[in-house]
Amino acid sequence: MAASTIRVATDVGGTFTDLVCFETDLVTGESRLTTAKVDTTPPDFELGVLNVLAKGGIDPKAVDFLVHGTTVVINALTERKGVKVGLITTEGFRDSLEIARGNRPDFFNLHYQKPKPFVPRYLRRELPGRITYRGAELRPLELGGLPAILDDFRAEGVAAIAVCFLHSYADTSHEKAAVEEIQRLWPDVSVVASHQITREWREYERASTTVLSAYVQPTAERYLSRLAAGLSAKGFRHSPYIMQSNCGVDSLESVSRIPITMVESGPASGFWGAAELGKLIGEPRVLALDIGGTTAKCSLIENGEVKIKTDYWIERDRTSSGYPIMVPVVDLVEIGNGGGSIAWVDDFGKLHVGPKSAGAMPGPAAYGRGGTEATTTDANLWLGRINKDYFCGGEIVADMEAAEAALSRVANKLGVSIDEAARGIIRIANNNMVNALKLVSLNRGYDPRDFTLVVFGGGGPMHGVALGKELGVKKVVVPAGASVFSAWGMMMSDLRRDYFVTRLADLRSGAAAGIEAVFADAEDQARAQFGAEGVDGSRLSFKRYGKFRYQNQEHTTEVLIESGTITDARLGDIEATFHDTYEREYTYRLGAPVEMVGIHLVASAEVGKLTMKERAPSTASSEVALKGHRDVDYALEGVDRAAIYDGTRLEPGMAFSGPAVIEDPGTTIVVHPGSRGAVDGYGNIHIELIGGDRK
Amino acid sequence: MTTASDDPITLEIIQNSLQATADEMFAVMKKTAMSSIIYEVLDMGTGITDGEGALATSGAGIPAFVGMLDKAVKVILQRHGQPGDIEPGDVFATNDPYYGGVTHLNDIIVAMPVFVGDRIIAWTANIAHNSDVGGMAPGSLSGNATEIFQEGLRLPAIKIISRGEPIRSVMDILKVNSRMPDVLEGDVWAAIASVRTGAKRLVELADKYGVETFARAMASFMDFGEQVSLRELKTLPKGSFAFSEEQDDGRIFNVKITIDDTAFTVDLRDNPDQSRNPVNSSRDGVMICAQMIFKSLTDPYSAANEGSFRPIRLLTRPGSVFEAIEPAPHGFYYEVELRVYDLMWRCLAPHMPDRLAAGHFASVCGTFIGGIHPDTGRQYTIIEPQLGGWGASRTGDGNSAIFCGFHGDTFNCPAEINEARNGLYVDRMELNMEPGGEGKFRGGRGIVMDYRVRADNGFLTVGYTRSKFPAWSLDGGHEGSPNYVRYLGKDGTSEHYAFVTGLTTHTDDIIRVITGNGGGIGDPKERDRALVAEDLKNGMITPETARDVYGYVR
Repeated sequence: MAASTIRVATDVGGTFTDLVCFETDLVTGESRLTTAKVDTTPPDFELGVLNVLAKGGIDPKAVDFLVHGTTVVINALTERKGVKVGLITTEGFRDSLEIARGNRPDFFNLHYQKPKPFVPRYLRRELPGRITYRGAELRPLELGGLPAILDDFRAEGVAAIAVCFLHSYADTSHEKAAVEEIQRLWPDVSVVASHQITREWREYERASTTVLSAYVQPTAERYLSRLAAGLSAKGFRHSPYIMQSNCGVDSLESVSRIPITMVESGPASGFWGAAELGKLIGEPRVLALDIGGTTAKCSLIENGEVKIKTDYWIERDRTSSGYPIMVPVVDLVEIGNGGGSIAWVDDFGKLHVGPKSAGAMPGPAAYGRGGTEATTTDANLWLGRINKDYFCGGEIVADMEAAEAALSRVANKLGVSIDEAARGIIRIANNNMVNALKLVSLNRGYDPRDFTLVVFGGGGPMHGVALGKELGVKKVVVPAGASVFSAWGMMMSDLRRDYFVTRLADLRSGAAAGIEAVFADAEDQARAQFGAEGVDGSRLSFKRYGKFRYQNQEHTTEVLIESGTITDARLGDIEATFHDTYEREYTYRLGAPVEMVGIHLVASAEVGKLTMKERAPSTASSEVALKGHRDVDYALEGVDRAAIYDGTRLEPGMAFSGPAVIEDPGTTIVVHPGSRGAVDGYGNIHIELIGGDRK
Repeated sequence: MTTASDDPITLEIIQNSLQATADEMFAVMKKTAMSSIIYEVLDMGTGITDGEGALATSGAGIPAFVGMLDKAVKVILQRHGQPGDIEPGDVFATNDPYYGGVTHLNDIIVAMPVFVGDRIIAWTANIAHNSDVGGMAPGSLSGNATEIFQEGLRLPAIKIISRGEPIRSVMDILKVNSRMPDVLEGDVWAAIASVRTGAKRLVELADKYGVETFARAMASFMDFGEQVSLRELKTLPKGSFAFSEEQDDGRIFNVKITIDDTAFTVDLRDNPDQSRNPVNSSRDGVMICAQMIFKSLTDPYSAANEGSFRPIRLLTRPGSVFEAIEPAPHGFYYEVELRVYDLMWRCLAPHMPDRLAAGHFASVCGTFIGGIHPDTGRQYTIIEPQLGGWGASRTGDGNSAIFCGFHGDTFNCPAEINEARNGLYVDRMELNMEPGGEGKFRGGRGIVMDYRVRADNGFLTVGYTRSKFPAWSLDGGHEGSPNYVRYLGKDGTSEHYAFVTGLTTHTDDIIRVITGNGGGIGDPKERDRALVAEDLKNGMITPETARDVYGYVR
């Protein structure tokens, strides 16, 4: 019997393939952490994964649990590198994909360009047949026209077929029949029906979701099967789990069929990690912020739970209506503000930061790779917040001349000193992020003062304390290994599926049996799906949420329903919870009747997640980690002499006070004056904010 | 380091926060409203004014509502001028075009003064279309109205909440006057929640940075808006441009626009007298049209505020269709405003080819369908604008199936929701393949939507323009196609409508909504052959059209 369990997370990004490995000693319960990074190897991505395992000195034969995160789906979508898709839909609705919702977000712009549909009109075809919103058959499905449609699709080189019929969320029989017939007539083609992905209403959103899943399916399946084959050839004895957008992992087989659920898996694992971290350290209410090179993403966690929604769009912003993907995705707000975001001055002398980014190439001016535009990172360097002699963990020699030249261009346009310009960049960037954090908190009726801010990603720890002060949070926590925190989150994930089903019901006596039946059906479906993959029903746990609203409203409020059979006697309590939740979010409540619009069922099973063990406090003082002192400009608080600590030498139990900066190879933590930090038993740094802000 | 109060970065941060606040107010309203025209169509807007009612920033929503809220706040201030008239916690409402309401009685503006101490530092305001405010017809709009009194309950800039407490008598009057009292109540409360949320944020901002700095940020934002407008104004062609156009109803509308380095003057004095029918506009309403076209010409990408519109001069004649006086009815004001907006656009398009495309379907195509839901027995009312085709530009084809120039980030109603909520069938929703809009670059396609009625004794009201004279073209392109309703009775009858009020509907009748294609630009024979082939393959044109209009030989 092995003396340890080895858990590995690999993450394929655009530039790098990352690895995080925890080897847990079965006797002591202690884990040893290994990280490694190699170049991503397109188009043979599995090579990068094997390379990174080799670089980390990990033998695939010995690995017990491997979870894999990849951007293959989002990349195929944004780079338009999917396959040719044919859409089959209900008679009268072939243009639904092109009509979309008709909105014009950029409304004063008379040259607005509506996003082009992923399937051109000649590949959008119709079949007669109609289901009602209550799931009854109004007109039988006629499949007579199908062979001719498939002939056309073959002739046009279609490689995947999407099927989406009206009201299939209420009754799936027509879609099932069409898929069976397509498979019979054309066994090799990739085909997916909308009900296999979502059971929610809105025909355009469902059609778009189905089309985009079909568009990436062959690419994703090839990717995943090569990954599995590559790992297996090296002796890996299990099947890898794949990170999902709903913060769970899913089996490789399941994801290969419906890969679209991976679309936003990158940020999901970090937010899941923040929720798990919160549970570990006794902080159930967390504001999580992930600052990367080009964007910052944030999410709110309440009672240790991430919020999962199906209102997700790609390429949607103030200038474009984008494309909807109705799959369970962690509720997040993303803004174009990262370490590489470019600072610029408009014609009216106003300073902006982002959303344009210097990316990895040329990167910030201080990378010395020819970048001439000032970025947030350059400003952080200039102000002494980042150590110019330990830039990127000492891997890059900071080109301070280039940074100065870039910043002075901004300063000249503003008519201020370079210091002033650099402070301005930090303040504008911070303000952008504060607004994003307010969107997920205040905007939804939550007071940030009741939350702990958890910051991670390369840039999170640099800005976290300033943001925390601005929002008035209780404290800021920088997790151990903040720069690879997403991979840690993957390791903490469960096998999880979210089932959303639209079903209307008035919340009044007599309704309980129907509501219970919808949940029970979804639970049966979950048991069957998990069972088919060898996960026994007894290992499954369920969480039931109802989506409620006042009659005549459209948008719903999700309410957790305590476990146990739903009976008419319980409806009163459920309704009361809805009123409370609604009032918290919107400041008032009504006496109007309440109706249920649908359910959200979370089914999950633990599949070998990591258990963390707390280390005993060190008896040494943080003095042992003190590297020296330097002047650091804290923007609003001005310049202060800061203590500089070596993060790798900080041990559990050590404490320190701001002004300070903690440096380790992946992260720089900027600790503002008047705040106090301490290292917990897991190596996380907790920073208490004292004294409030100085103006 | 400069002090925080005159630091440009601080001002910038306050300005960003104002926009974020208006956006948050918008989100609150959208999520809590009870009328689909608010939560789905988003026929609403939010905004923030300074203490005197000058627009500081607009939220999202529809462009036709952007410049409206300031006008309401100014009237509220004027009518509550005595000390003690306006107190912390108060909320006001107006819906009357003769009292700062600008549009028609369905649109209720809710506004809240934001106090710091005893000083009003700003107003948060919100406008939304309410489904029914009483009057002679369900949905309150009737083509038969001859006086505003027939169009619903009039709220002449009144107080509805006093020091945080709803004035029950006023709320009762509001509610009892609606055919859909619960919905009206829900929507008004959604609006109140929205302005309260905004007010709370503004107080936090002013507390944090100080009232003086807050006020200075608003003022500098407006000056900034004016600078942008003036700079862009200089790049427009100078001179006087005039245009006359016959309308579907036979009226001739005239406009003269004069552009110089500092002013954009729109002269609408030479126009018909106001109508006895509800096809009139207030002067404020016409001003908004001028603001919209001006904003699109000068700075379409940033938020609008009072300063953005300072260079506009508007000339109208009291008693005319563009400055109607009491008691002229206003129900279909939006079609009149769209006509004058389109008139200004068409007047300038030949002179600004890079900024202005050919004409679009240019009608809200407001469609009102009501009756009893056969499955629930409850009354339903559909109030929806329609999607249509936009005109070709010098660089490409027009968009198909998007909302007209008056609407913005507005969403159509999915057929699946429509069928569940309203108890009728949507038999189809597809692109309109009627001829029209051909050109070197072609107009976008309108839509065809069939509503099949499932119960007897419902009603249909519509008011479409550009039904007789379709979207205009440029440089030899073809005109678009008309907006209309084809009513197909189960009994085999077929009727054509552009304006109809309270038509009784029956089971299995089909209401076919058809919206126009946008206008084309340039000779169709000059169209890129590859594009013609693609259109043909996509079934966007017939082989006959390809051959006869585009001169296409395979």
